[in-house]
Amino acid sequence: MNRLIVYFALLLYHSRRYKKAKQFARDLLFDQNNIYKKYFDLTIIFLVITSVFILIYEVKHEVPRWLDNYDIYFVSIVFAIEYMLRLWVHNDLSVMIINEYNDAKFLGKDFNVFRVLKKGLYQKLKYMITPSAIVDLLAILPAYRPLRILRVFILFRVFKLLRYTKSINQFVDVITTKKFELLTLLFLLFFIVFTSGIAIYILEADKNPHIHTLFDGIYWAVVTVATVGYGDIAPVTDVGRAISILIIISGIAMISFVTSIIVSAFSERLYEIKEHKVVTELNKSRSFLVICGYGQLTKMFLRQNRKNIDNHVIIDNNLQRVIEAKKSGYVAIHDNASSYATMSKFDAENSDITVLALTASDVENIYIALNVRSISRKIRLVGRVNDPENIDKFRHAGVDEILIPNIVANTMVYTAITQPTMYKAIHAILTGKGVANIDEIHVHQSHGIAGRAIKELHFKESKLLFIGIQREKEFIFNPPSSEIIQPHDILLVMGRKISLDYFKSIHKGNINV
Amino acid sequence: MSRKKIAIFGYGNHGKYLAQGLHRDGFDITIIESDKTFYKDAKSDGFEDVHLLDVTRDSELTGKIDFGEYAQLVCVMDDEHLNVFLTLSLSSLYKDSYILAISDSVNVTKKLKMAGASKVIDLYDVSANKIYNILDKPVATRLLEEFVVNRKGITFKEMLIPEGSFLDQMMVDDVNFSKYGVLFIGMIDEEKAHSFIFVTAGLEHKLDAGDTIVCLGEKEHLNAFARLIKKSKDDISIEAKI
Repeated sequence: MNRLIVYFALLLYHSRRYKKAKQFARDLLFDQNNIYKKYFDLTIIFLVITSVFILIYEVKHEVPRWLDNYDIYFVSIVFAIEYMLRLWVHNDLSVMIINEYNDAKFLGKDFNVFRVLKKGLYQKLKYMITPSAIVDLLAILPAYRPLRILRVFILFRVFKLLRYTKSINQFVDVITTKKFELLTLLFLLFFIVFTSGIAIYILEADKNPHIHTLFDGIYWAVVTVATVGYGDIAPVTDVGRAISILIIISGIAMISFVTSIIVSAFSERLYEIKEHKVVTELNKSRSFLVICGYGQLTKMFLRQNRKNIDNHVIIDNNLQRVIEAKKSGYVAIHDNASSYATMSKFDAENSDITVLALTASDVENIYIALNVRSISRKIRLVGRVNDPENIDKFRHAGVDEILIPNIVANTMVYTAITQPTMYKAIHAILTGKGVANIDEIHVHQSHGIAGRAIKELHFKESKLLFIGIQREKEFIFNPPSSEIIQPHDILLVMGRKISLDYFKSIHKGNINV
Repeated sequence: MSRKKIAIFGYGNHGKYLAQGLHRDGFDITIIESDKTFYKDAKSDGFEDVHLLDVTRDSELTGKIDFGEYAQLVCVMDDEHLNVFLTLSLSSLYKDSYILAISDSVNVTKKLKMAGASKVIDLYDVSANKIYNILDKPVATRLLEEFVVNRKGITFKEMLIPEGSFLDQMMVDDVNFSKYGVLFIGMIDEEKAHSFIFVTAGLEHKLDAGDTIVCLGEKEHLNAFARLIKKSKDDISIEAKI
């Protein structure tokens, strides 16, 4: 028996098709990026809604036979399959058996397949008693016809929808943070309800025509403590009324207590929830800027309001500055950009991320750079260096572009002194305002202009000034007009924006990629 | 280039860099400091025309040196309060002078402009611009920066078209700048209210004596071209024949 099971597990363990199928099921059920998951989810949601609709319609109308069959068999079978799949992918029995078998062989001890099977099945059982698994199971039950009461369980199918709403999960998360407080209150509530229920039963069972059993007493206590007060059962003795007064007061106190606990839990977590939303939105956008530090430079940077930076978020560890940024209408997160947890929230694998480390401290910026690099090599990094002595350290930390405000300003002042007339021109080129844009055209492999000579492109007629080609590491200034443009060249061109855009449209290339 | 006299106020963060660069490029500079440490720094760095003045007092600013003679007054004191005060003093004492000042925040930029600075360069403004350029066009930004900073290799140069130059009265389109290894970027047209016109603006321009043209190219080519434009059409045709 042992051997048979191990042999079977080994077969599954080595079957590529089995693994592929299991992985597919797993992705279908859990992977948000899976393309089929959306359709799968929509199908389940559709089945739930139709099923509940049929239940409601059934109350006053005759349901056609086919619809009934659809509800009883089709929907239930789909749900049953889904339940089995979830149970199946919860853990890998075959892998567990093989691992255990190998370990046993290695240690030379006896291998007992049932021990590991027990462990694996216990894990599955543990999954089966989680709330969502129970809901799934109850949603299948209405298929059993002889028990009419099971029809009500169709309503459990609605709970299946909860799996597809994130906000409910967040709500549950928030509530669980206050588990202790809520449980204490619940215990207190039970105490009040039971003691007053029992008290009213003892005191009034023979005097009050509405109280016959202990259940009546407890029912009255619950209705009263919840401040609902149907009035179908009311105390008739003075002592009973005194008890009423007590539990009404404690009921009000209890309700306001619970409310305040839940509200405070939410306000504590509200920030986190909002932040989570910001990050999710950014990750969805696939291309965004993360700006670390909200100081003078960041303010200046954002104030320019240029089109190409729609998606950005500011991260600062100073709450005052975050509040200031939010007041100015920017999206900001109060967090530490040099911590792994903060930066790893961004989906570096699937998104095009640029991180700007712009804090006023070099130490901080380097730390941010190293932190970002430890997460992904794909992220583009721009670092602000305040002390030129640290440039090498920034390079070492993997910063792609280095910005030294002092040197940038000094260069501008220097140009303004030495070539005052030209300063205007260079300033215009650098700021990209007005008629003088310098732009780069990246020539891709399949780009329309690859393989053509410069003179064929008629830069002059397009009102563009062709300056040169960046080819690999070398810049070729003003090459002869017979020069052939090669794939991966970067052409440096100057001109008005409309000229550049027009040139781009006729050559179907990407300027400014 | 004529030897312009330039006064640099402040030998701190920015002053040091500017003074050394300008000195290397052969400018005639005077350094003024109010701080003893910076004053000593300047002295020990080999500058001779260094003065220790209390820039908050008008008598000091008018006494020893006549700043009216200077082509440019550059205010780059490390202390921003002092810098604004100095700009204000200089602009009231020397009304016609060209005053250039550096600022490290928007508020200071406003104050410096109100104080009468002819041009204010905002540290964060230019840096913020650069971030955009790095994000937008990284290669072009790097190359352009090299063109601006380079003392050798490819760089910009402005040249005045002298009287009798072969360029005088020629249309921009008719001059083959590539032949001389330079690119014509733009010009300052004296006819059109001293405005800078880029070649890519798409207008037909006639070059006149007295216009300043800006070219991009190898340093040697630029220098050769600058010498060439001093010559007349006849000179060139004679040289060509020889």
